[in-house]
Amino acid sequence: MSNPNMSPAEKAKAFDMAQLEMEYRVDLYNAMTASCFAKCMDTRYKEGDLNVGENSCVDRCAAKYWQVTGIVGQMLGGMQQQQPR
Amino acid sequence: MNPADLEGLPEEDKQKMVAMIDNMQMKDSLRMYNRLVEKCFNNCVSSFRRKNLDSEEERCVTKCCEKFLKHSARVSVRFAELNAGAEAMMQQQVLQQQQQR
Repeated sequence: MSNPNMSPAEKAKAFDMAQLEMEYRVDLYNAMTASCFAKCMDTRYKEGDLNVGENSCVDRCAAKYWQVTGIVGQMLGGMQQQQPR
Repeated sequence: MNPADLEGLPEEDKQKMVAMIDNMQMKDSLRMYNRLVEKCFNNCVSSFRRKNLDSEEERCVTKCCEKFLKHSARVSVRFAELNAGAEAMMQQQVLQQQQQR
C-alpha cells in the first residue's frame, strides 16, 4: 500500500484487505475478552478490581486463546500461516 | 495496527485509513456498550418483584462495569504483546527466506 505506483484498482483492493484484516483483529480481541471474562471472573462482583488470581487467569487465558487461534488457522489453511498475522 | 504503519503513505490514503480506523473505533465502542449492559444485566439482575433496581443490584452493576473495563485493559495489553510477538516471528521468517535465496 506504500507503493505509489499502484493502480487505483490495486489500491482499492489493498484498502479493502486492510479493512478486513482490521475488522478480523477487532473481532478476535473482542472474542478473547468475552471468553476470558466468562472463564476467569467471579461473577459475584465483590470488588471492582481484579485480584491476583484473576490477573494470572487473564494472562494465561489470553495466551491460550492465541494458541488456539493459531491451531485453528493452521487447520483451516490458506488464510493464515503459522501464527495469526 | 500501529500509527507507524501509516507513515510513507500519500496524504489522501492516510486520511482514508484514519477515517476508516475512527469509524471502526466508534462502531466498536457502541457494540461494547451494548455487550457490557447485557453481561452485567444478566449477571446482576434476576428478580422482577419491583420496577426499580435495588441497592444491591446497583452495586453489582457498578462493580461489574469496573471489573470488565479493567479486564479489557489487561487483555488489550496481552493482545498487543502477542501480536508484536507474532509479527516479530513472521519478520524473522521472511528474513530467513530472503537469506536462503
